[in-house]
Amino acid sequence: MNEVVIDCLGEACPVPLVKAQNKLNEMSVGDILIVQIDHSCAMKNVPEWARNDGHNVEVEEVDDGEWEVIIEKSK
Amino acid sequence: MAEQSSLASRRSSSRAKRKPKKNQIPIGVLMVAIIIAIGIYLGTQSGKLLLFWATGIAFGVILQKGRFCFTASMRDPYLTGSTSITRAVLVAFAIATLGFAAIKYGYQSMGIPMPGMSYVAPVSLGTIFGAFIFGIGMVIAGGCASGTLMRVGEGFHMQLLSLLFFIIGSLWGAHDFGWWKLNVISKGKAIFLPDVFGWAGAIIVQLLIIGLLYVAAEKYEEKRKAK
Repeated sequence: MNEVVIDCLGEACPVPLVKAQNKLNEMSVGDILIVQIDHSCAMKNVPEWARNDGHNVEVEEVDDGEWEVIIEKSK
Repeated sequence: MAEQSSLASRRSSSRAKRKPKKNQIPIGVLMVAIIIAIGIYLGTQSGKLLLFWATGIAFGVILQKGRFCFTASMRDPYLTGSTSITRAVLVAFAIATLGFAAIKYGYQSMGIPMPGMSYVAPVSLGTIFGAFIFGIGMVIAGGCASGTLMRVGEGFHMQLLSLLFFIIGSLWGAHDFGWWKLNVISKGKAIFLPDVFGWAGAIIVQLLIIGLLYVAAEKYEEKRKAK
């Protein structure tokens, strides 16, 4: 099981989402992707996309206005 | 929830514990006090200013807490297949349609000139071209006008840059607007729906279009999910 962290701190809305989508495509089922974000808008669309796609998703607020979206690739 | 909590605990990278979060409640209480104080001061100056202050603050809070984003409403259907924000914007348009119609109809029935009629602008090629470049700009900048302002308020530094160029662009646009108005915009035709369909007809037509778009958005999301 691999774990990949991508750092999207300071990047505005669609960038974290696109990076996460591309990264997750390269990964295999069971791998975990952690997306670090501080753009509140990405906090909504990254988990929403991943859940709609059928992956396990969890959001953790690690600091004020800083989140980690943990995605387990499930298919 | 059990499955979800296991996800975080299964992660292999262990992190040093972050410093405890600062308690933001005192700052919040202070901000509310300052907002009320400014409101009281503005109220002594003019009732209109107080109204602008209150609605502005309310708009900002709703925008931030609701994660309402006009950019996302146009971008997410393509990027993620989700139309939840698109539909939220459509609902907002429907509510605004009723509100604006009520205000305008009220003024007209009292025989007073309707407010906001200067925004009934001609439709021209400029509308399409302007919408196109605005769309490109807002996706790159990560927010439309209200979204950029809201995120600057949230403390997202990169969008201070967006705000700066938003101001520069607005000034440039205002500077050249006379030329555009004379050569492009005035060539179009201004359409005020109640003049065409009557008041009831205009509201029905507009709500019907919004309703159809809502259904289309829902169908689109279902289709994307099924894929």
